[in-house]
Amino acid sequence: MDTTVYVPADGTRAVRARALTKTYGAGEAAVHALDGVDVDFAAGQFTAIMGPSGSGKSTLMHLLAGLDTATAGQAFVGTTDVTALNDKGLTTLRRDRVGFVFQQFNLLPMFTAEQNITLPVQLAGGTVDREWFGTLVRTLGLTERLTHRPAEMSGGQQQRVAIARALIAQPDVVFADEPTGNLDSRSGAEVLSFLRRSVRELGRTIIMVTHDPAAAAYADRVVLLADGRIAGDISDPTPESVLAGLDALRTLEPSVATGTTPVVPEAGLR
Amino acid sequence: MTTTATAPARTSPAAGATPPRNDLPTIRYTLAQMRRSAGRLTAAGIAILIGTAFVAVTLIAGNVITRTTYDTVAARYADADVVVKTGADSWQQDVEAVRAVDGVMAAQPVLTGYLDLSAGGGRSYGEAFALPDDERLSPLRITDGAWPAARGEIAVPEQIAERLEIGVGDTVTVHGWEVTDPETGEGEETTEEVTVSGITEDLFKAYAASGGAVVAMPQDMVKWSDPPEVGEVFEVMAVLDPSVMSDGEPTAAIREALAAAVVSDGRPEVLSVDEHAAEISAEQTGGEDLVFLVFVLTFAAVALVVAGLVIANTFQVLVAQRTRTLALLRCIGAGRGQLYRSVLFEAFVLGALASLGGVVTGALLAQIALWVAPRFDLGVPLPSVVEPTPQVVLLPLAVGVVVTILAALAPAMNATRVAPLAALRPAAAPSLRQGAGRVRAVFALLFTLGGAGLLALAVLVLHDDPEYGLLVAVAGGALSLVGVIVGAVFWLPKVAAFFGRLTGASGPAAKLAAANTLRNPRRTSATATALLIGVTLIVTMATGAAAARATATTALDLQFPMDVMVGAGATDVPGDTASRVADAASVDAVAEIRTADGTFSDNGYVTLSAAAPDALRGAVRDAGEVDAIQPGSILFSPTALKEWGVEAGERIEVKGPGGKLPLTIVVTESEAFTGFVTEADLAKVAPEAELTQVWASLADDADPASGLAEVQEALNDDGLMVLGLAAQRAQFEQVINLMLGIVVGLLAVAVVIAVIGVTNTLSLSVIERRRESATLRAIGLSKSQLRGMLAVEGMLIAGVGAVLGIVLGLVYGWAGAATALSVMGEVTYPVPWVDLAVVLAVSLVAGLIASVAPARNALRASPVEALAAE
Repeated sequence: MDTTVYVPADGTRAVRARALTKTYGAGEAAVHALDGVDVDFAAGQFTAIMGPSGSGKSTLMHLLAGLDTATAGQAFVGTTDVTALNDKGLTTLRRDRVGFVFQQFNLLPMFTAEQNITLPVQLAGGTVDREWFGTLVRTLGLTERLTHRPAEMSGGQQQRVAIARALIAQPDVVFADEPTGNLDSRSGAEVLSFLRRSVRELGRTIIMVTHDPAAAAYADRVVLLADGRIAGDISDPTPESVLAGLDALRTLEPSVATGTTPVVPEAGLR
Repeated sequence: MTTTATAPARTSPAAGATPPRNDLPTIRYTLAQMRRSAGRLTAAGIAILIGTAFVAVTLIAGNVITRTTYDTVAARYADADVVVKTGADSWQQDVEAVRAVDGVMAAQPVLTGYLDLSAGGGRSYGEAFALPDDERLSPLRITDGAWPAARGEIAVPEQIAERLEIGVGDTVTVHGWEVTDPETGEGEETTEEVTVSGITEDLFKAYAASGGAVVAMPQDMVKWSDPPEVGEVFEVMAVLDPSVMSDGEPTAAIREALAAAVVSDGRPEVLSVDEHAAEISAEQTGGEDLVFLVFVLTFAAVALVVAGLVIANTFQVLVAQRTRTLALLRCIGAGRGQLYRSVLFEAFVLGALASLGGVVTGALLAQIALWVAPRFDLGVPLPSVVEPTPQVVLLPLAVGVVVTILAALAPAMNATRVAPLAALRPAAAPSLRQGAGRVRAVFALLFTLGGAGLLALAVLVLHDDPEYGLLVAVAGGALSLVGVIVGAVFWLPKVAAFFGRLTGASGPAAKLAAANTLRNPRRTSATATALLIGVTLIVTMATGAAAARATATTALDLQFPMDVMVGAGATDVPGDTASRVADAASVDAVAEIRTADGTFSDNGYVTLSAAAPDALRGAVRDAGEVDAIQPGSILFSPTALKEWGVEAGERIEVKGPGGKLPLTIVVTESEAFTGFVTEADLAKVAPEAELTQVWASLADDADPASGLAEVQEALNDDGLMVLGLAAQRAQFEQVINLMLGIVVGLLAVAVVIAVIGVTNTLSLSVIERRRESATLRAIGLSKSQLRGMLAVEGMLIAGVGAVLGIVLGLVYGWAGAATALSVMGEVTYPVPWVDLAVVLAVSLVAGLIASVAPARNALRASPVEALAAE
């Protein structure tokens, strides 16, 4: 088994995976969605997880965020072992330390933008930090939209509200699952630059799953995944370097059937 | 309609004619669709199941009653084969004539009556019939001793023998009444000593309702009870020779021979015992039994209306959820008609299956009741097995199917409105059309206002005419309730919003619940309305009962302010009555009332009464009237004022046997206090006023009935009249409570169905909001918060329905009381707080319970689902 730990170039680690494994089914029919992944994500960084369909990128994110239970291995948010938490602990973790941005926005239709943004804090029974709220709303350009309901907003605006909702509790890390998947390219670009601003200006940590090289290029670092294993690591990516990395994965595809996929030599990508 | 021989020509296929309508794919599609929605349809089906089971049980109960009547009647004729009905003028000759007919083996007149028996200190009243000559004609058997052999002997049932503590050979007294003067109808009591010859047993429960029967010689029966009278129908029963029977029925020839033999006036009727029993039970079924059936079926109808609301709601949501599939079907060529029929076919299948389940459930419940019933001695021969008549099976089935299809009409219409384009649009959360049409608003307004108008008319104008008043009030209430239900979608969400704001303040989960309740106003109001109907009717009944109780108590208190009253009957009231009454353990206080006749003005007449004030105060329930008795004044009730044309404050000069006295009229609300003056004033006009009544009050914790019995025992004098007014009040209350209990029990079925509706609505919401629940879980909603959110949602819907139902029920209950009770006197409008609290609490708990299953379902949603793409 591959024992290389993919570590970020700099900074402290916000999220770590150690020998993280997820297997569906058993015996002959067993499918290894995630096959002993070791990876670290730095705090204050915008990281993209990329890979072809079925590479296990969504599974990795679910396990890191405590949304799904691992078959083996550990996942850490900060120093907390997510895989050891029960449902109550996971709920608290999600509420206080993790934020989510979904492909389908998933705003509550009966609440206004402001109510949607402050909902996590209210669920936790806390009081909203008005200063932080103001900062978020200004940064994401939502000042004019606070009284609107989701049905009265464009997709891009809805996704910005969702980002604000993910950031309101000042979580250790925000997971974004294909945040631009349901948006046109212009709104998508807008949302991605807001995500990047959240990291650069507000000091947040964001881990984004995407299959769009252009989207991944907004990140500080791209982790490539194939066949349930880490297949590459690109720092300061450009759309071209990401595409090149993906192409390198594709050339390996015939060997997938043998189950002996070698790790893409990272030196060539650096 | 006519049928012609050329009909087959129609079926010959004509080339190029309209394409054959083939709904088979639709049916297959519908059934597949139903399998997918099985869970949701089951909940809706249960609503219909309960409703139809209600109908089935009612019909079966009706059949059991008919069957019981039939069996009882048949049992009374023992082994007789035929009943000859004729006029009663020459009944003795008729019996002989029947006996003389060829083929008659034994015949006996049907002579029944009631005998008043006493022995030792006990007295008993029993049904009796004349001893048949032939054992085959007696429905009873002798268990001890022998049948009466001569006049002056009787056989009594076990029950009477026990009560009178007598056995074979003992003597009992038969009490009779002999009319001495036919002109005035006056007569005197007669007594006759007779000997008990045997103890009877009612093996076939022919006289079970009376606890068995006394058997006496026919001559004695005629003497002791009323003999058959001219003009009445007289019956002779007879055992026939098998030669004149065919298939267990008398032949036509013997029927003719019997009809020809009797001599009494009137056309004789010859019936087999089966025919006779069927005729009698049919008479009863058409009368009282029918009233009972209609009464109970009314409540079954309410339950079915509520079930219809639940079904309509379910189908609306199902159609909304299938928008995409429906649009897809339209895209690939399904016609509007096909979709319409598909939904209706689905309703038909659901209705048929659920109704079938309802009939089976109803039959099972009835069967269980029949198994359990014999353990309680009901005194009727109940059948042991439920007989499934076509009516019992088909009627609930038809009603269930029709209600389900009617409920699905509007959703089916909605299904046809789905545009094919909807299939191409990105999937959005299914939404029902918001708001409601103007037609609905107009209808709701017209019904509500019209109904309210009728209600006002009944209360304000017709309150003196309880018969029409109540009819108009019921019509007005029903009309306005329909208006309220139809219009609920306009205003009920606003009420829910108000309650939502109240609950929303208590935390984020409650706030979410409140917001959720308002997302789909139509569904929320439909769900709450289903509950509102049941609650409104229950509260109406409870309020009406409370008003009746309070009004009747007030009226009784005014009429009879004491608990027990002793007055002159056959004998005058002896001087020691008061002390004897006071000796009874339950009696709290007694007062001696002395009275004398007085006159005033030219023709005024008043019974002057007086009692020691302190004693009187203790002996009545409301001492306020006692304080009104002052020197120089006399109490008059409003009725007395009207009768004699005098006014309050007027001074009248009252003349009594001992002198005159001017007195000022003071008004009392109580009839019982009319004519009361102070003892000193009474002494002035009637120095020799006699003791005519003793009033007594019972201790607060005393049982009114036993208190009355104690007083009667203490007096030990049959000549005195003793009225137990407290016992009467208690009895009245019991009757009201029993009636209320029955009605509420019947309405509870509608509430149960409505609660299923709440569960259904919540389940559907949970399914619809799967992604949303997952999102909430992902952003930090804990499991208990999610559970709490749904609990608040359920309680909010139920609470709104209950609160509005309570308000409406109070209004309807008061309106009903105002029209129905005004004849009893001043109507009181109580608020039955306890009942209301119970109704509200039950509704809230029901809402809470309704949220349990949907919550379990919602919790199954993993937060991962929020991330999943469509």
